[in-house]
Amino acid sequence: MTPVEAHTEGNGAAPAAAGAPMLELRSIDVNYGRVRALRGVSLTVNEGEIVALIGSNGAGKTTTLRTISGLNRPSRGEVRLRGVPIHQLGAERIARMGVAHAPEGRRLFPRMTVRENLEMGAYARTDRAGVRESFERVFTLFPRLKERTSQLAGSLSGGEQQMVAIGRAYMSNPQILLLDEPSLGLAPILVDTIFEVIREINARGGTILLIEQNALLALKTASRGYVLETGNIALSGPAQDLLTSPDVQRAYLGM
Amino acid sequence: MNRLLRAFFRPTQKITATGVYTILVIAAAAMVLLGWFLPWFVGPFSEGVGFSPQDAISTAPTGIGTILLYVTGVCMLIVLLSPFVEFTLRARHRALDVRWDMVRAAASVVGLVLTVVVWILVRWINEEPLFGALPNGITTDSAVWLEMYGFGLAAITYGLKRLVLERPNVMFVVGVLPFGVLLPLMFHQAPAFVLWATQSLAIYMLLGLGLNVVVGFAGLLDLGYAAFFAIGGYACASLASPIHGVHISLWMLIFIGAAIAATFGAILGAPTLRLRGDYLAIVTLGFGEIIPDLATNNVFGLTGGPNGISGIDKPVVGSVNFGFNPQWFYWSLLFFSVVVVIMLLNMQRARIGRAWVALREDEVAAAATGINTTTTKLLAFAIGASVSGLAGAFYGAIVSIVSPDDFQFAVSIAVLSIIVLGGIGNISGVILGAFVLTFVIFWALPNLQEWSATLGHTFNVPAISGIDFTRYTFILYGAALIIMMLFRPAGLLPSRARKVELESGIESESLAAVQGRA
Repeated sequence: MTPVEAHTEGNGAAPAAAGAPMLELRSIDVNYGRVRALRGVSLTVNEGEIVALIGSNGAGKTTTLRTISGLNRPSRGEVRLRGVPIHQLGAERIARMGVAHAPEGRRLFPRMTVRENLEMGAYARTDRAGVRESFERVFTLFPRLKERTSQLAGSLSGGEQQMVAIGRAYMSNPQILLLDEPSLGLAPILVDTIFEVIREINARGGTILLIEQNALLALKTASRGYVLETGNIALSGPAQDLLTSPDVQRAYLGM
Repeated sequence: MNRLLRAFFRPTQKITATGVYTILVIAAAAMVLLGWFLPWFVGPFSEGVGFSPQDAISTAPTGIGTILLYVTGVCMLIVLLSPFVEFTLRARHRALDVRWDMVRAAASVVGLVLTVVVWILVRWINEEPLFGALPNGITTDSAVWLEMYGFGLAAITYGLKRLVLERPNVMFVVGVLPFGVLLPLMFHQAPAFVLWATQSLAIYMLLGLGLNVVVGFAGLLDLGYAAFFAIGGYACASLASPIHGVHISLWMLIFIGAAIAATFGAILGAPTLRLRGDYLAIVTLGFGEIIPDLATNNVFGLTGGPNGISGIDKPVVGSVNFGFNPQWFYWSLLFFSVVVVIMLLNMQRARIGRAWVALREDEVAAAATGINTTTTKLLAFAIGASVSGLAGAFYGAIVSIVSPDDFQFAVSIAVLSIIVLGGIGNISGVILGAFVLTFVIFWALPNLQEWSATLGHTFNVPAISGIDFTRYTFILYGAALIIMMLFRPAGLLPSRARKVELESGIESESLAAVQGRA
């Protein structure tokens, strides 16, 4: 075992796609009142890779993402973005530093149009040319949204709403994209479309931390994975290894 | 400046286009009707019997002037009936033939011209061959003004119908702003009415505009808005009256009052940042009760206790003493209202406006897109409060005595009703709501008394003549709101967001519910 691997051994994962650590969580604890939602969660997302975080209901997946983007405060541990600690900052500061969160349940602004929702994603940006470019990029990724720019987000179908949610997060030109259950409640064909786009974003150099209940799909898409169980990281490693791990197969893949 | 104006005139709320058209058409018909009937009702009791076609015809049907009056009457009928015809057809999904727009526009123009002609004839060439025997001083200027305005408005609305539908905001301003400016002149024969206009309409309009920032834009329900009004009023009263021996000019005080109110707005906002919906409403309700109580208890010896502060200075500009020319209060208020409206429209379209809407729609998502929810909320409270503080300072100067009774819960409710009635979140709607509500409460209801008495005497029905309508103010008030909620829940001129919400039932979850601590 080389010293480099020993360093990351704390997380149990070997760096797959070579790249500097974009996001690091170091032994994070999060409490909801007296309930401890996360205990000592550590994970790393390297630049340019897709990392999947899988686990059953209530395992703490969403809490992990909310903690990263500043919607929850960790009671212990730290979150670093490119080595800079961000866990003390407010949600809006973290968003401005390049963490884009497509939250659980999509959470669009239902009474704004698709275009306005996407504009809100670029709220913190001041470079107009860059924003226009991002619009084009989102419309290339989701051609369907281009037809619906002036439709109200609340009147879209679930799949289209998910497209807007990802598009809105992508509009901020983020360092890292946090996707919370993008397949939730979608028809299988739409799930394929969404994951196609996720791979596309990654192919263009996007770094993604993905939460999924659909473990098979998530692990097939990701390069590395973490398995969260009742607030602990139970397993981690390259996605291929997790797919073939008997524990994962039994608990999450139904095999 | 150019950008300001462009932002002001850009058509943004397409969905309210037919709403504006409807409002203008009804307003025109109402003014014509009012102008027609006003002389009847004003006649027996106050100065000047009206020029009114049917009066002249029925009293002395001779002379060639009668023909003019008949033609005017026909024009009136066309203007009065065409909205009914049009809306009946629209309800049956049939459109009125386009040619009728030309007919209606022509009738309005003819009516406008004849009104002026007849008025001039009656006023200055009052000779018997024209109209038969008419007493001197027969014209009620208010009636003539209303006729002219109603015909003019109808001519513009029907003649430029396409423009109205394409640029509803511009045409709303074109149609309504002159009425606002001319109001004191139109009713110069009734000084009490001018006082009503100064004291109520403009003040309530400003209050509605301010509350609309908090409730309409940012979605924070504030039930204690009168508190900021009180703060502005007391700021003016303490700094421009004998009570502390300080006399600062009103033109300074409105900014001081606005600043103090904004500070209190932020002070109220800070501890309530985490609250939403019902919880926030209860805290603001409490705040609204505390401020008048503090004033009653003469806190720090500043407020003069239950009697309030009296002898507030009247501003004097050049040779105009506002105390003797209260219409100048009205015009100043109108000026500041226009300034506030332009500021708010620009804010609505700027980053802060979008941040407010995002906050109202979904606080979590707003924070996740990089909006600082804390400062955004505090700004909404502070800006809303500052408008109220400005109105409060004016109020103090107008009535020259402020006491805790002026700022009770009923004021908060009245202001809230104005924006609910007009259309939450839509500035044009709020202005209209202020017009309608103050018109009903401060003018129609008190005068209804006199009108029904006239009717009762005329037709010899004592039951009608004895009704005391002012006692039923709050019943009518409540009934109006219930009817609104049933038939037009988004207000007279709905904002796009409200209309969508009410039609499709979209509602975002509360933050507390999502975080599991509701």
